[in-house]
Amino acid sequence: MTNALEIRNLNKSYGDFQLKDVSFTVPKGSIVGFIGENGAGKTTTLKAILNLVNRDSGTIGMMGMDTIKEEKKIKENIGVVLDGCNFHDNLNTGDISKMMGFIYENWNPVIYNKYLEKFKLPENKKFKEFSRGMKMKLQIGVALSHEPTFLILDEATSGLDPIVREEILDVFMDFIQDEEHSILISSHITSDLDKIADYIVFIHQGEILLNEEKETLLDGMGVLKCGIEEFNKLDKDEYIRYRKNQFGYEILVKDKRGIKKKYPEAIVDGASIEEIMLFYIKGEK
Amino acid sequence: MKGLILKDLLNLKGTFKTLGVMMLLFTVIFIPAGNDFVFGIIIIMLAMMVITTISYDDLAKWDTYALTMPVTRKEMVLSKYLVLGILTISGAILSLIVGIIGTMIMGRSFSMEILAIIGGVFLIALVFGSFMLPLIYKFGAEKARLMLILCILIPMGIIFLLEKMNIPMPSTGNPWIYLFLIMAFTMGGLILSFVISLRIYEKKEF
Repeated sequence: MTNALEIRNLNKSYGDFQLKDVSFTVPKGSIVGFIGENGAGKTTTLKAILNLVNRDSGTIGMMGMDTIKEEKKIKENIGVVLDGCNFHDNLNTGDISKMMGFIYENWNPVIYNKYLEKFKLPENKKFKEFSRGMKMKLQIGVALSHEPTFLILDEATSGLDPIVREEILDVFMDFIQDEEHSILISSHITSDLDKIADYIVFIHQGEILLNEEKETLLDGMGVLKCGIEEFNKLDKDEYIRYRKNQFGYEILVKDKRGIKKKYPEAIVDGASIEEIMLFYIKGEK
Repeated sequence: MKGLILKDLLNLKGTFKTLGVMMLLFTVIFIPAGNDFVFGIIIIMLAMMVITTISYDDLAKWDTYALTMPVTRKEMVLSKYLVLGILTISGAILSLIVGIIGTMIMGRSFSMEILAIIGGVFLIALVFGSFMLPLIYKFGAEKARLMLILCILIPMGIIFLLEKMNIPMPSTGNPWIYLFLIMAFTMGGLILSFVISLRIYEKKEF
């Protein structure tokens, strides 16, 4: 199976920040959630994928093509939504269709109008009168109107209310019904990814900490709550991170079923992506 | 590329209206007074609007987004130079129309002087743009606004120095040769400016 995106050993350093050997793939037909705290390197990675920044080393392929050698061809086939609205305040939806028709070979005004209608975006209103939710919906509609096969979304749902987010997630789910389609979505709103992602890639301080199928992750990992005696009995390779609080220990374990079997009295809960992320960042090894 | 140019022109729609009113006002005030500098103002104001388009782009973080589309960095830069060209030429045509109508209303005959002013300012606007665009690409539209003043002062200073040094100003001969030379220099300057802007832009990270 070919991958929509394949990153190998991507390195990039800015003064005090660097991406270290970032490698991961987005398999065709899947949604990959790219998570990490602010400043972890999500946006830099996405920018390197899109050639908005120069990389120091590494290769990046999309749909089997090299992103530097076949940049234009690749960019005809991807839809990108960045954090915020990138259309000028003075324009309206009609203006966008006019200019995009010249920019994308495959620009399809019928699809575009369908999204405008679906999202209830007014036609003759300038964007400065649009709310943030409307602007993001517009960006997503535009990103889908040249019939791309791969969507790259940078914080496309942050700052939106739950209803708008739900609407947008539905659109992504529709898009992914076609098995040729794939999505890479970076977000720190991990509950959205709980809903839609197939894989989770977790970046921290410029390094990939975790790259796993979401089901495996949520199925396997758990949070064990116990006191110091039980904690001391645990093997080092049975847990990933632990946190100490006034009531005892909270431990992120790899195999919650195994732990339950081994310590039948222990309380082991499932872990959400957010909890996993917090353990990795705040917890101790 | 057409899309990028169209984007700038659509963006300026509102500004064009304000400018139209201003121009009408200038024309009404200055033409009866026999003041010909209104023609120059029209061209310069239009040419300067290329800076406005870049400020708008900055506000929307447009360039970052545009480069995720099938648009090369070269097309991004070239489109700005073409917008400068379109604006300056429109300015020249508009001045010409204002000039012809103005003289007709005033009952004067259309003089070569007006044509010379329009041609001269047209070239000045292009030279000015050639200075501005690389500066904007290097330092951003905001800082470049300050440098705008330098762009005017430096050429004036050079002319002043040349005068002081008593370098003989060409005064005789066939004026067409000078015209041709100036045009060739302007074109050369524009091309050089484009090459420099492109260099700067290609290294830029967003």
